[in-house]
Amino acid sequence: MQNLLTLLQTTIDGILIGGVYAVISIGLSLVFGVMHIVNFAHAEFLMIGMFIAWFAWFYAGIDPMLGAFIALAVTFLIGMVMQRTLIKPILHAPQVSQIFLTVGLLFALENGALLLFGADYRSVSTSYQTEALTLLSTEAGRLFVPLDKLYAFLMALLSGGALWYFLSRTRWGRAMRATAQDPMAARLMGIDTDRMYMIAFGLGVGTTAFGGAVILPYITASPTVGSQFVVLMFTAVVLGGLGSVAGAVVGGIMVGLIQSFSALFLPIQLMNLTLFVIFILVLAFRPEGLVARRRA
Amino acid sequence: MTTQRSLFALACAGVIVMALLPLGLDPRGYEIRILCITLLFASLGQAWNIVGGLANQISLGHAAYFGIGAYTSTILLKLFALSPWLGGMIGMALAVAFALLLSLPTARLKGHYYALATLAAGEAMRVIANSWADVTGGPVGISVPYLPDGSLWMMQFPTVLPNYYLFLAALVVVCLIFWKIKTGALGYRLRAIKENEQAAEVIGVDTYRAKLIAACVSAAITAFLGTLYAQFQFFFDPDTIFGVATISVKMALIAILGGVGRLSGPLVGAAFIIPMEEIANSYFGSSAAGLSQFAYGAILVLVILLNPHGLTALFGQISARFTRKGATRDRSIA
Amino acid sequence: MSKSSGTAALRATSLSRRTLLASGAAALAAPALGGRAFGQDAVNVGVIMPLSGPNAQFGINSRNGIQLVADEINANGGIKSMGGAPINLVIADSTSNPTQAATVAQRMMSQDNVVAVLGAFASSLTLAISEVTERRGVPLLTMSFSDQITDRGFRNVFQIVSVGSQIGAATFDYTRALAEQAGDTLERIAIMYEDTAYGTSQSAGLRAAAADAGIEVVMDEAYPLGITDVSPLINQLRRSDAQVVFPVSYLNDSLLIVRAMRQQGLDIPTVGGAAGYIIPDFRDGLGELADNVLSISPAAYDQAPEYTERFREKYGYFMVHEAQEHAACMGCLHSALETAGTADPDAIRERLQNDVFDEGWATVMTGGKVEFDEKGRNPHASPLMVQWQNGELATVYPKELAKAEVVWNG
Repeated sequence: MQNLLTLLQTTIDGILIGGVYAVISIGLSLVFGVMHIVNFAHAEFLMIGMFIAWFAWFYAGIDPMLGAFIALAVTFLIGMVMQRTLIKPILHAPQVSQIFLTVGLLFALENGALLLFGADYRSVSTSYQTEALTLLSTEAGRLFVPLDKLYAFLMALLSGGALWYFLSRTRWGRAMRATAQDPMAARLMGIDTDRMYMIAFGLGVGTTAFGGAVILPYITASPTVGSQFVVLMFTAVVLGGLGSVAGAVVGGIMVGLIQSFSALFLPIQLMNLTLFVIFILVLAFRPEGLVARRRA
Repeated sequence: MTTQRSLFALACAGVIVMALLPLGLDPRGYEIRILCITLLFASLGQAWNIVGGLANQISLGHAAYFGIGAYTSTILLKLFALSPWLGGMIGMALAVAFALLLSLPTARLKGHYYALATLAAGEAMRVIANSWADVTGGPVGISVPYLPDGSLWMMQFPTVLPNYYLFLAALVVVCLIFWKIKTGALGYRLRAIKENEQAAEVIGVDTYRAKLIAACVSAAITAFLGTLYAQFQFFFDPDTIFGVATISVKMALIAILGGVGRLSGPLVGAAFIIPMEEIANSYFGSSAAGLSQFAYGAILVLVILLNPHGLTALFGQISARFTRKGATRDRSIA
Repeated sequence: MSKSSGTAALRATSLSRRTLLASGAAALAAPALGGRAFGQDAVNVGVIMPLSGPNAQFGINSRNGIQLVADEINANGGIKSMGGAPINLVIADSTSNPTQAATVAQRMMSQDNVVAVLGAFASSLTLAISEVTERRGVPLLTMSFSDQITDRGFRNVFQIVSVGSQIGAATFDYTRALAEQAGDTLERIAIMYEDTAYGTSQSAGLRAAAADAGIEVVMDEAYPLGITDVSPLINQLRRSDAQVVFPVSYLNDSLLIVRAMRQQGLDIPTVGGAAGYIIPDFRDGLGELADNVLSISPAAYDQAPEYTERFREKYGYFMVHEAQEHAACMGCLHSALETAGTADPDAIRERLQNDVFDEGWATVMTGGKVEFDEKGRNPHASPLMVQWQNGELATVYPKELAKAEVVWNG
């Protein structure tokens, strides 16, 4: 009975964190899908989102779940500006340039935060951090859902759903998908592709920042927190296929489950190693991702 | 005097100057250490240049080879008192084995995908080194056993001066290897692949083999440099030696800044970056946590924005602008 | 160089000339910018601490402790045997990376004329720095506990606290005694520790002591220092059904662990391994959750209030153990300087090795005095068990030194 409970608990944990990974990774996939740029600096926007939410909490007492919206808005704007100034010039440049621009951006953002905010860890104190919902309680053990992770998951669902709605049901979403499919044709149809790129990048980094904010109750913020999520994000996106937003969702949940289950069998330090190996293997043998959808 | 001969004479003169330079410095002092690190990174940049510049494979995981070399020679030294010269060679062999292993899944990958895969590989090594504490010492790091009197066979010296000459010799050797590859048949094939891989395949170039050889040579060199580093610093830990920022990207940055694909590129890049970093660290002290890395990031971004389509020979173009002979666009091999 | 023809050669000339100039200029400029010149007679003492990064708080606390003592010395007329020479602290940030710490130490050795170095709180950083100071013959005083620090046959390293394995063993033994006192028998314990030198050495002591006592260690997990999600650890803890948990953590991980334990409804006694568990930030971060958390500590401020209260007056919080131990180191150094009468690292080393330090700040350590044996260890140091009670840390074990009654919720 205890083994069954452990399995169920591990699955629940995996799905909860996986949902959040999904939302964090959607942005990365979106950026690649629309602009064909791999944004190596993407995880830093997660850090930015976390910090914005933390400041909102620290100075104004705003709960991170609400602060996430502020993080989304601010980061969206930052993203748009960055796209126009930094990304646009390299859209058609050789890949070397594209890779190193975003790598450079990664260092600039992470260390810029380090210089501005110091390297101290910052965490929030919320009431639900130390509470959990008990689903089942038997002699063999409990089955429970930590509240902070649950809220993060629900918020992630919300934002994922909103993005899906935007992309599939609104005019702008359609325009964006058209731009991703064929920029030339889109332009011929009268779509302002430059603006689409800006919005795509803004949305991409904004959703990641949103994800960063909602996990603040259970992850501590620091300028280097991005580096812990880089592997996760990229694995999720590659599993689902670079460029596929739906794929990123599936990939995210898979990464959450893999991480959760590998904690059962492996020492904590090696948890990410499993992901690295899977990542390389997927890249090698099925770069279009396991969710073999037509690239957007 | 032909251009070739004058360049060669210049190179010799340069080596002689570099060889004489440290004699005027305190052999236990700080300046000579900066010079050593500069030479080390120039060599590392040149090793990266072989894959990044000649073969056009953007590797973000070269630190894996560096770390393999450093750990192998140090662990063998600790366990068996094996000379780092020998340990370094074993390290080279292991690095080549890793390069071969890595080439299997990454053979068909290009551009972003290749960069991602190499990044993951480097990070995987770091995680392994951090958790395999019984062998590597884990996050605590590993020290080279102390020999107060030093010995050439054990590659340990009471002052840093002999290390300097080792680094200088290494740089000369790496540059020679780079030159030989670039101007030889392999370089020719790599250039063909860079221009158009499919066309190269069609005319009979074994693209996989060419890229593989370049990768293995680069790996081996990087690994031996790792050993030299271990015997210079006497202490290192996984986060530093396998670090993306501290090693992998820095190597690439140095090659790119100075001119990727050119022999002089990494030399110029290192001569600029390393002293700048040290000055920044000395000057700003504790308030500068992250300043040098921020600077790398900012410089990378600026360099690329200045000339997105031609990352090669940025310095060359700037100096061409200022020399009297005018700004003819440099498309030559040198 | 004679007139050379061709753009290539000219460019090459400019490039290599530029290279030479760049590196030459840099090499020349570096010392000028780096030198921190001070009065001729001042005695330079190096202080290398993590002032940034996850251990910044501890580094700052340590620096404050040293600063307090240095200011007192200077206010009382400096080093009398050296004509009243003042102490000048040369403070550098080691960052949290061992290689960086070693580089910082190198820089300090080359540029500042320090007679001794105090550093670097975290064992892994101290190990890295000691490689440098040993090769330069400069004495290093430290309160880092890893056994490795004084296990390498180095002559210039002085460790003022008990070693990690001793501390770990004491943690276990004291806990067992306290449990028995409350009528509980320990049968199953859990150990979780951060994986750098500090955590590893202490957990080794815990493990050995448990094995000696025949107690089962139902969970024994290392975790990476920068861990941000401790749920796998706490899940495991829950499944292991341990009666007492011994976490060895720095600050961030300690907060995460206690919170996660509460979230999962675990309220078994928690006995921390010093560091993160016994600084004010722990209480600030957890509020009431911090109450009754026990921890081992190499030193406690309620043992020597005449001295330690001065820290509270100056800095506004109680004298944390790392500040206390570093202050004791500074006290020993002061005596060594007075006796040696010269700012020579070798002479200082001699004094540190041979003298007994039982005056001034050296007395705040257990035993009221400090000595260093051939390995550089202090035989008088002995760990104490402290507990959070009403926002303060109270010594609860051993009995002779206890200042308060323990609250045990087994």
